[in-house]
Amino acid sequence: MPLFIKLFIVSLICALPAGLLTFDLLTDNLGANPVETLEHTTGDWTIYFLLLTLSITPIQKLFSPKWWLPMHLTRRVLGLSAFVYALLHLAIYFVFDMSVDLNEALTDIAERPFILIGMLALFLLIPLAITSTQGWQRRLKRHWQTLHKLVYLITFLGILHYALLVKADLFMPLLYMTLFGILMLMRQFKLPRLR
Amino acid sequence: MKSNLKPLIRLGNTTPKECDVTPEAFFLNRRQFIRSALAAGLFSSPIAALADFNFSPNSTYRPNLKLTDSEHALNYNNFYELGTDKSDPPRYADRLITDNWQVRIEGECAKPQTFDMDDLLAFDQEERIYRFRCVEGWSMVVPWIGFPLSKLLDKVEPTSKAKYVEFISILDRENLPGQRFDILNWPYREGLRMDEAMHPLTLMTTGLYGKPLQNQNGAPIRLIVPWKYGFKSAKSIVTIRLTDKQPVSSWMAAAPSEYGFYSNVNPDVSHPRWSQAKERPLGSFFKQKTLLFNGYADEVASLYKGMDLKKNY
Repeated sequence: MPLFIKLFIVSLICALPAGLLTFDLLTDNLGANPVETLEHTTGDWTIYFLLLTLSITPIQKLFSPKWWLPMHLTRRVLGLSAFVYALLHLAIYFVFDMSVDLNEALTDIAERPFILIGMLALFLLIPLAITSTQGWQRRLKRHWQTLHKLVYLITFLGILHYALLVKADLFMPLLYMTLFGILMLMRQFKLPRLR
Repeated sequence: MKSNLKPLIRLGNTTPKECDVTPEAFFLNRRQFIRSALAAGLFSSPIAALADFNFSPNSTYRPNLKLTDSEHALNYNNFYELGTDKSDPPRYADRLITDNWQVRIEGECAKPQTFDMDDLLAFDQEERIYRFRCVEGWSMVVPWIGFPLSKLLDKVEPTSKAKYVEFISILDRENLPGQRFDILNWPYREGLRMDEAMHPLTLMTTGLYGKPLQNQNGAPIRLIVPWKYGFKSAKSIVTIRLTDKQPVSSWMAAAPSEYGFYSNVNPDVSHPRWSQAKERPLGSFFKQKTLLFNGYADEVASLYKGMDLKKNY
């Protein structure tokens, strides 16, 4: 199968949650608080895709699988999906929570640390999304990898953004933080090859 | 009623409750029986409350507002005893056991006493349409059914030392899934100042949308204080305690910098996570402006005369 078709299929799979959300939106199935559903779902998927992106290296180390879509492309699609879901998340917030009012958004950022942290994570993702292509990889040489290590900080900030938003039950953000911690630790140690 | 069916197989030696072994049809027949017996004048009146849920609309509290779709009010709930997700309370509603419910009123009063649901339903039940505003920034307009708390408190004759009222909700760690974790200091506690509790707007609530309260909405009896954020309106209340000291609510204990004792709806005082200037009515995509005291300023502003509402949040 040609590479671009594989790429297309994987992208399509990553777009599936957004597709389902759109379907629910059009069929009025988002529940009592549709905007909250949109925000939470896109936010959740941003974190899922960030954690999936971070899982690629440990998976390679442990299992050295034969990737159906080459490893670097799989990782790129996952990382870019995280960016797209984060953008959707921001757009929904800006349109429905802030009524497309920049002043209101700036006030919100200034007053609420969790909004600031979320914004910071999203803005840090922008250079990574732009330089995700092979052309940029070649141009930046060894700096490319240094730059893309920012994703560790971004994921941490993303989960922190979620943890600070929660009213009382920290179970989910702590679970994500634990997964993140494990994925980071797996980078520190030499892992056994399981395959 | 003795069931002629085999008892259900049970794990352990828990005693079956009557409702567990009585098929619903038999149960309904029993109600039917009570009703016809009542009609025949065989029973005295208190049982009438159990057989029927009677209420009449109170014309004073029928604002010209569009009611929230009942589906939303019944399926989007904050009731951490049943779980922290909004969909948990309707999903686990059957875990809340409301049989033989009693409300104990104690503390600074001349006649502390225990009321059962028949006693509570014997008060004239009225339907009032109130705005309801959650601290999280969503709101609804719902027809509650109940009676003023003041009528209940009058029965126990509060003493001059009764400055505050504490409400304590159900504690049932075995059955309530949310109480297996110490998300809040269970049981849920809330409180009002005495004059707030005696205010005519403060409603002991037994029904919603023409029916008895569903479990996820705080059955069988809850509080509604329409000018305060929703969490002040404790659900499934078992104890009401009159005190001389300001009670510490569960949310105050969990995060004192975020949840104050008063928690009046106030668009000018923002919460660390949510601006309170606007609210989103359930079912709607766009926000609307939040009103001071949730639109009840004419009725309640005098309660807070001279108080700094930014400090007393």
